[in-house]
Amino acid sequence: MYGGGGHYDGGDGAANANSLFGGGGFVPSQSTAAPESSGGGSGFSKASDDKSNFAINGVEVSTVRLVGRMLGKVERVTDVVFTLDDGTGKIDVNRWQNESSDSKEMADVNDGNYVIVNGGLKGLQGKRHVIAYSVRRVTNFNEITHHFLHCIQVHLDLTRPKPCLPSQINASTPTPGHANQAWPPNNQATTFSASGNTAGNDVSSLVMSVFHDPAIIEREDGITVPYIMDRLKLPEHVIKDVIKKQEDEGNIYNTIDDFHYRSAMNG
Amino acid sequence: METSSPAAFVNAEILTMFVGRRVRTVVQVQRNEGGMVVGQSPDGHPLTIKSAMDIPVSHFMEVYGIAENNQTIRAEVCTDFGPSFGEI
Repeated sequence: MYGGGGHYDGGDGAANANSLFGGGGFVPSQSTAAPESSGGGSGFSKASDDKSNFAINGVEVSTVRLVGRMLGKVERVTDVVFTLDDGTGKIDVNRWQNESSDSKEMADVNDGNYVIVNGGLKGLQGKRHVIAYSVRRVTNFNEITHHFLHCIQVHLDLTRPKPCLPSQINASTPTPGHANQAWPPNNQATTFSASGNTAGNDVSSLVMSVFHDPAIIEREDGITVPYIMDRLKLPEHVIKDVIKKQEDEGNIYNTIDDFHYRSAMNG
Repeated sequence: METSSPAAFVNAEILTMFVGRRVRTVVQVQRNEGGMVVGQSPDGHPLTIKSAMDIPVSHFMEVYGIAENNQTIRAEVCTDFGPSFGEI
């Protein structure tokens, strides 16, 4: 594991550039930290009259993760404050120190170090800042790349339209007028098994539609082949073939083990 | 929260579009020449980094700075990313 990270401040910068990078994205689930970039300000909005909550791309955000360089660290009696600069913008961070472990954590990081900040996004008098519950130094710099890729992926996931459900599945149910509407489970299974005609594309669409069911998208652990078998009433080997193909194409990925899968369109 | 001076991620090819603006990239150090580093860009082209810190050859170095021309960046901040950045 790399243990370097020395940095050097060069001469003064030239004229400021126009806004060139407006990235930023976050997972919709409140149980996980949303990856963020400081420059995602163009997407911020107040979620409600509650001053402490923000909405980004229409989704309320409370916990965020930021990766950037620590600047202007000031150690005070009960807390440590600093500015985090991740190249897209700067944001103030406050880390309260209630226990000795908090102090030890902050003693390990200094000005110029790349750090990962997890905390709550707060607003006060129109200015956003982060109340951090975790600040740790980056030791593997690939984490910086991964963080930005995660920001981009989640941002795209929240801003691009959801895939349309296959029309042949809705033959036995009222056709939904909106592409994002979830179809009721099990109905299509009856229709499917009665027809007995399973073209490759139909099976693949069926399986992926299970992954994209709004009730499934929220599951961080994903789903298993037995679950899909139970939903679609399809043979195991058929589903496994589809799973393998979709995994090879990068549309789904393993989560907690080799038996759980999740759509790559999730956060 | 301040967003007045963002830096665009660039490689050698994209750098030509951001001359005079703040950019960021990671280069692999090929040689040091007294305050100036010549490194290989992510897309395999040589870039000259002025005002760079002394980082060992073959290490990866992240650079924030102003693009002076399509092959030179005047560094404001350099960070040593070590010898194995980007490897799987």
